[in-house]
Amino acid sequence: MILYTPLSASEIFPVEEEKFQHRHCVSYQGKMIYVEDNQDGTYQVLQLLSSDPQDFLNDGFSPGTILK
Amino acid sequence: MDKDNGKNEEQPQEEQSGASSLVQKIQQLGQTNIPQSPDSNVHVLSVIGQVEGHIQLPPQNKTTKYEHLLPQLIAIEQNPKIEGLILLLNTVGGDVEAGLALSEMIASLSKPTVSIVLGGGHSIGVPIAVAADYSFIAPTATMTIHPIRLTGLVIGVPQTFEYLDKMQDRVIQFVVSHSNIKEEKFKDLMFAKGNLTRDIGTNVVGTDAVEYGLIDGVGGVKEALQKVNELINTTKTDQEVIQ
Repeated sequence: MILYTPLSASEIFPVEEEKFQHRHCVSYQGKMIYVEDNQDGTYQVLQLLSSDPQDFLNDGFSPGTILK
Repeated sequence: MDKDNGKNEEQPQEEQSGASSLVQKIQQLGQTNIPQSPDSNVHVLSVIGQVEGHIQLPPQNKTTKYEHLLPQLIAIEQNPKIEGLILLLNTVGGDVEAGLALSEMIASLSKPTVSIVLGGGHSIGVPIAVAADYSFIAPTATMTIHPIRLTGLVIGVPQTFEYLDKMQDRVIQFVVSHSNIKEEKFKDLMFAKGNLTRDIGTNVVGTDAVEYGLIDGVGGVKEALQKVNELINTTKTDQEVIQ
């Protein structure tokens, strides 16, 4: 199906509020990270919010890591 | 393969946890380990995906939130250990006000800044790219220059038009004052017809962007690091002269 419209996709297919609520920006070991709540007591790292390139070499902050 | 197995047996515990976390990462996001290296005095800010401003975008969008970047820029300005900043841009554009806020912040940093446009630096990515002291663009990267626009319901059309027109002037003024492009040329590119499918404007490719004076040079990581180190050295010698 192709929709020819000037509207943005989110206006046609509204996103459920619930999806926003699972994403948090938290401070972990002194660094700000953006995480997704897995709903089982664990969090998954989505993005590391740091300007220090060395932080990105830290395994604990790499995207996909599960935090308990 | 055999050699690797041998190593595993020598350090069973560490390797095991390492291997399991590696497997976890591959399963989760298809990403493996990155090499370690010594500390650096140059920090990196990446502006990726959409520039997210006043409205929160749905979770499937990859966004750069300006409220995350602004405090980092302040921290970079304050921290004496940080001597330079590299901006990585691969953005489709986004919120004009958020983009301008970022651009103004970057332009007003006292520390040397170098930007690299990789892939794309479209729309509001253009002022962000030129805000740095020196800007690079990858030869294959492109920058779309187009008039700003609005989606959604519009109330008070003449007033909205006035507002958008002023906002556009702010963008044009910023780009013209922070790059070598002439205002006439930039407006020509912005209002060109027949280049974009559903919009007026131009998609400027790497070398062309340099030719028009929008971007300072064609290059990548190597050139950007060289430039930022060069700028750091010149600011250091300047400071010594003042002292």
